[in-house]
Amino acid sequence: MNKRNITLGVAVGLSVLVAGCSSTPTENAMVDEARASYTKIKDDPDVARSGDRQLRSARDELSRAESLLEDGKDTVLIEHAAYLANRHAQIASEQGERARLQEEIDSAEERRRELMLNQRSSEAEQARKEAEMLRQRMEELQAERTDRGMVLTLGDVLFDLNKADLKSSGERTIGRLAQFMREYEDRRVSVEGYTDSTGEESYNQQLSERRAEAVRDELISQGIERRRIETRGYGEQYPVAGNDTSSGRQQNRRVEIVISDEDGQIETRQD
Amino acid sequence: MNKFKSMLYTAGITGVALTIGGCASSGERPDSDLQSAESSLQQAVAADARKFQPVLLNNAQNKVADAKNLIEQERYIEAERLLEQASVDAQLAGARADTEKARQAVEEINQNIESMRNQINQDQ
Repeated sequence: MNKRNITLGVAVGLSVLVAGCSSTPTENAMVDEARASYTKIKDDPDVARSGDRQLRSARDELSRAESLLEDGKDTVLIEHAAYLANRHAQIASEQGERARLQEEIDSAEERRRELMLNQRSSEAEQARKEAEMLRQRMEELQAERTDRGMVLTLGDVLFDLNKADLKSSGERTIGRLAQFMREYEDRRVSVEGYTDSTGEESYNQQLSERRAEAVRDELISQGIERRRIETRGYGEQYPVAGNDTSSGRQQNRRVEIVISDEDGQIETRQD
Repeated sequence: MNKFKSMLYTAGITGVALTIGGCASSGERPDSDLQSAESSLQQAVAADARKFQPVLLNNAQNKVADAKNLIEQERYIEAERLLEQASVDAQLAGARADTEKARQAVEEINQNIESMRNQINQDQ
């Protein structure tokens, strides 16, 4: 009787002990989940490179959870270890993904740098070509580079003596200028008439103005807008040669066309 | 009768004591776990987890708060477990926020490249 009751007591105690610390052995959903998380990434090279510490913790916690499960320990303990294992695996996975994205960013940065270089050199190439083209066009116009910019000089052969009507050879020259102005829409021109010192100064002043206007009218008739053209008559002023010889006087009778810069600015005569 | 009854009690109590001892000894105050959980939280916040992973971050913060209560009640073992979980929760929140930011950076730079390509094609 005595002995049997003692045995019973111990059995009750032990059964409480066993029931307290273990539930269903060998199977646990959280351990399975943790194992799945770990298995998914354990051979991922990005994770191996960048999440190795977390990966190791995941492995350690997982094997702890598994042996707790094996030993039939308390579910709380098993699931706690499984929780940590799962989280460590998830963190490792994120770190691997992060590293993969970083590589993508780096190579994209590299591509962008190359594109920028290409773009810059193609822009420079484009600008160089445009400048070259402009130079050629100016050359065709026989424009000369001066302090005031590019200047195209039309000699007096374009006009009859004391007349302000353009000869047909003059019209062809103006045609080339009009063509240029159509191509370079930002350019404006200043058309300036000059005479020699023969005759009345006021007459020469008027003649120079009328000749400048004749050139303007020709440009307009060839389709150039009036607002892109200024005219001025300078009469006998600003001779380019002496008025004491006939060849000097011929040089002084002229129309100068000053071509603006690309912003449409023309330097007017200050002196 | 008396004697055997008391032996029965003793055995029963031993079993119960073993149970408690086996599963929930009061243990040490988990101060270092509290510290590392809080530092994981700080790092997660610094990684913009508040913006990208608010739910997970809140969970981690709640676990730390609960753990503090448990520590006051001297339930150190339970507190330690919560703190360990809070720490990995916070680390995951921070890691996810980092990946999300990297993902956005990839998208941004790809768009950037795309518009540069379009620009170049237009110029040509």
